[in-house]
Amino acid sequence: MFTLAYASRVEADPQDFALDAAEPDDASLARRIEAARPGVATAAEAELYRRLAPRVRLYGLKHLRERQAAADLVQQVLLMTIERLRAGQVREPERLASYVLGMCRMVVLDLQRTHARHERLLGTFAQDLSGDGPTTPHLDDASLLRCLQRLPERERSILVMTFYDDRQARDVAVDLGISEGNVRVIRHRGLGRLRECMDSSEAAP
Amino acid sequence: MSHADFPAPIPPATLLAYWLGELDEAAEAQLDEHLLGCGDCSGQLQALVELGDGIRKLTCRGSLRGVFTDALPKRLAEAGLRVREYRVPRDGSVHCTIAPEDDIVVARLQVPLEDIRQLDLIVLNPEGQGHERLQHVPFDSSASDVVVLPGTDLLRALPVSTMRMQLIAVEHGSDRLIGEYTFHHTPWAELQT
Repeated sequence: MFTLAYASRVEADPQDFALDAAEPDDASLARRIEAARPGVATAAEAELYRRLAPRVRLYGLKHLRERQAAADLVQQVLLMTIERLRAGQVREPERLASYVLGMCRMVVLDLQRTHARHERLLGTFAQDLSGDGPTTPHLDDASLLRCLQRLPERERSILVMTFYDDRQARDVAVDLGISEGNVRVIRHRGLGRLRECMDSSEAAP
Repeated sequence: MSHADFPAPIPPATLLAYWLGELDEAAEAQLDEHLLGCGDCSGQLQALVELGDGIRKLTCRGSLRGVFTDALPKRLAEAGLRVREYRVPRDGSVHCTIAPEDDIVVARLQVPLEDIRQLDLIVLNPEGQGHERLQHVPFDSSASDVVVLPGTDLLRALPVSTMRMQLIAVEHGSDRLIGEYTFHHTPWAELQT
């Protein structure tokens, strides 16, 4: 992972204390990284990476709709964020989410415009990364299938029509000749039942 | 806006609307920022995305059984899946099978649908072994057929058999049979001998 590569190259800073005693918020982690000598607050950097990587990945999936591009976004945004924290260039660590959002927007535009820059950045920082994105827990297909088949027909159909290629309510409504509001209501009800069923499947021994 | 300013937890309906791009620009930007700062809500969104991935996977595998509109098989075919289709005339029958390379099987039950308000589908199991009624199935009233995906797992397991489906218009609480469809199924292997 990102931090292991760093750990092999730097001497641990005694100020980079254990993070599990009291759960620091994101801003506290950012301040620790800023306050330490560059590359020394490895535990804080690792923790910040661990927290932000899945969030940035989701942002990437939402705005780029492509897994590899989302993985590239995670690497670029987090490397740049941590580099700038190290350099003391993040003015308001308590508004870290806003800062990261700005970085995400910039990199998404960049990724959309050209692949050249992202290849170069990845090449530059590849040695610091072991290439792994956040892991996603495995959803039990059998439980999901069973829960979907238990749904009332209309709810199942609308969920499938929605999720198969992330279609908005208005598009599904056109397909079905019903109102957009009606699709939202059925979708909401179906999603609730599906989650309830999946939760009870997980809880079952 | 910090993530603490946003009313949390974000309701699942809002997260789904966000994911599908249904929110206006300002609300989407607010949620973008909130999710980057809030582990709990981004975890909820992650779970929703995984659910969607799971549904997509089951759909592509042909495992899901159900009634849809024409849009779904079209998209599946566009995605490169092999879709086997049977158009069954109203009160007619068809000889059918599923090939090893088929990803999806679609039955198109032909019937006029204008003026129908509620449609139920009755599936009569092979050799009269009971039936199942799917209530309020989705349909496009401007179309001339109802699109049924029987589920490939079920079809692959079927021996030589005959299955029937009935479309029922529900009007003022009473049923009206508007079409009956018969499927004479033969396993692929038996067709090759």
